Amino acid sequence: MQEELRQTCRRLLTDGTVQVVIGYGQAAADDRVVPVFITRPEDADQLVWNDRCFANLAKYLLRKEVAALGRAAICVKGCDQRALLVLEQESQIDRSQLTVIGLACDGVGEPRQAKCQSCDVHTPRQADITVGQASAGNPPATADGRYAEIEAFLKKTPAERMAYWKAELSRCVKCYACRQVCPMCYCRQCIVDKNRPVVISTSATLKGNFAWQITRAFHLAGRCVGCDECTRACPAGIDLRLLNLSLAKAAEENFSFRAGMDPAADPIIGAYSQQDHEEFIR
Amino acid sequence: MSELLSGTAIRPWIERLLADGKRVAGPQRVHEDLVQYAWLTSADQLALDGFVRPSNSIKEVVFPRHEQLYGYQFKGKRIELLPAELPTKEQIVIGARPCDAAALPALDGVFNWDTQDEFYNRRRELTTVVTLACGAYDAHCFCTSVGLGPGDVRGSDALLIAVDDENYEVRCLTDKGRRLFAGVTTESSAVGRVMEGPPVQFDLDKLGAFLAGGYDNPAWQAAAMRCLGCAACAYTCPTCHCFDIVDEGGPSGGTRVRNWDACQFSMFTAHASGHNPRGNQGQRQRQRIYHKFQIYPEKFGALLCTGCGNCTRNCPAGLGVLPILKTIAPTP
Amino acid sequence: MSDSNDFQPKIIAYVCNWCTYLGADLAGTNRLEYPASVRIVRLPCTGRIDFNLIVKAFETGADAVLVSGCHPGDCHYTAGNYHARRRWMLFRPLLEALEIDTRRIHFSWISAAEGKKWQQVITEIADKTRELGPYSDYREICQAESEK
Repeated sequence: MQEELRQTCRRLLTDGTVQVVIGYGQAAADDRVVPVFITRPEDADQLVWNDRCFANLAKYLLRKEVAALGRAAICVKGCDQRALLVLEQESQIDRSQLTVIGLACDGVGEPRQAKCQSCDVHTPRQADITVGQASAGNPPATADGRYAEIEAFLKKTPAERMAYWKAELSRCVKCYACRQVCPMCYCRQCIVDKNRPVVISTSATLKGNFAWQITRAFHLAGRCVGCDECTRACPAGIDLRLLNLSLAKAAEENFSFRAGMDPAADPIIGAYSQQDHEEFIR
Repeated sequence: MSELLSGTAIRPWIERLLADGKRVAGPQRVHEDLVQYAWLTSADQLALDGFVRPSNSIKEVVFPRHEQLYGYQFKGKRIELLPAELPTKEQIVIGARPCDAAALPALDGVFNWDTQDEFYNRRRELTTVVTLACGAYDAHCFCTSVGLGPGDVRGSDALLIAVDDENYEVRCLTDKGRRLFAGVTTESSAVGRVMEGPPVQFDLDKLGAFLAGGYDNPAWQAAAMRCLGCAACAYTCPTCHCFDIVDEGGPSGGTRVRNWDACQFSMFTAHASGHNPRGNQGQRQRQRIYHKFQIYPEKFGALLCTGCGNCTRNCPAGLGVLPILKTIAPTP
Repeated sequence: MSDSNDFQPKIIAYVCNWCTYLGADLAGTNRLEYPASVRIVRLPCTGRIDFNLIVKAFETGADAVLVSGCHPGDCHYTAGNYHARRRWMLFRPLLEALEIDTRRIHFSWISAAEGKKWQQVITEIADKTRELGPYSDYREICQAESEK
């Protein structure tokens, strides 16, 4: 599959379809896989595909330095492709100018990441070119097990949950790796950087950390595709996935909506319905 | 003759320090694969082996991520200033890595060059650093490339070297170290051996030559292409020390605080006019390397990097000082 | 109002200008008594209410928050309250996951003619919050030193 990927890259660059292929490459120092930007056909051998290809490369489509390289091809796993769809729906990328190379994926990480346990997009959808075949195909999309972690978490007592978040968020240093790595965080000026007036305390105190994480999670309501890059990027090991899962569960339970799955589905946060239930409203 | 800290003596010793009202920090296992320096509430939390190094640094004990400088209150037309209380509790770091301790002399320079930073200096006075010679290194460590090593003593008050699975030879290096270990160690003939450090990964002279003429080299843009512009590297780095001063308050008053800041943020050098002298990530990454390997050394005579490797370990995109330097100045 | 209990819960009510604010005003002109420890913050429409305002209310020491606006179909700006309702449907599960006490966050539709309802809602919230006690969890979060 890796060889097929490299040949595809070579071809796309040689025949001028694209000027840059955004993909995964091997870091020099160790066995980490890092994003690479291939602009010459002879560099295509830098591309790799293995179960350490964690990054969601969709983020790089929003970088001006990458856009300056020209028309792009991008390698995506099934979860990453969902991000492309959301970006397209939000008018952040021009899909017609992009060549999407879908990489069939049996999961990443050793042991497999939590998101891979309930993945139903082993073969990325809507790709222009698909490389490889996932052994699991695309299992039918059921909600079984998808929200197991948040459901288990919600079974803890309120006191346990509060103690958990106080402990976890006390380690947050406001490095914003979670924000920077997320393809859906593309505001030119993030609300946390606004200081006339200050809306969210920038300090890495519990107050500032709670305010930030609530904001970040909620600004992703109905937009987070569950790529879990935020969790991977966090240098303090905070399980940000739980917050995103709580909102993804609310989105699916209330609106049968999963971000980045259906090109025809309207985003939920900008829309409303007369049937939205309101049993919690007096 | 040497001084021995027996494995069985460590926990009671730490419990005594805590009971005496002192603050003790050391590596703690937060998750199965995450070890961080943190303040201990009990001696059982201390983790001394089974990992290469914690994923954060000890700078927090002298340079906290959030610090109150002073308070202010509006009283009619007057503003009353309320000085912050400087800390008074003694602080002891146990089990710091040599690459963490070596950062402290570097920070001493910055926090005392044009003004004496009373907050930093007070914390520094109150702090005793006990380092633990490394038992392992990984692919991201490069202390030897910046003139340090697994048993280096810079910035340390006492160095522990394992003599076996449980016991440590203690080499007290300063009065603070001697005071801390008085009555805690026993005489012994055991001598610990410090391991060899990692092979040198780049040539400092070559690097210096490149930096002298390489400011406009397009390699910076290429190297930074995958940088996401977060602060994971800067905040986990033992020597990075940039900060932002903000007022947090309301109509009746508030506090002026100092928070960590990072040169990799896109708004770090944004001017009120709208101009940004470092408007793209290549410029920002370049700045970080120049600061550590040319600007700071010119001013203070030492590097602003201890080769700990935290930047690369924590970088979501696998960047950091070593990958960039190896591209620019690899060893022959 | 009632002073049998020392604790007067601080309630912040974010209300829309066209319905609930006028409803509260009507309660006033009709001399309907309701707890004085409610602070009313007037906004043009519930659709404008950012969820951060709810967080801010707790940061500044509120023990309970009320968000109230026009009934569905009656929004002065046509659909603002629909957008707000959609937002709240998603915000509450996030708060539950974080264990921010959702028993202290209340939503209501109160029209300009419903002065009595305003009185009832505020009184109920005050009573319920008095039972829950001050929101010490969030206060601790806000006062926590960063040095752990």
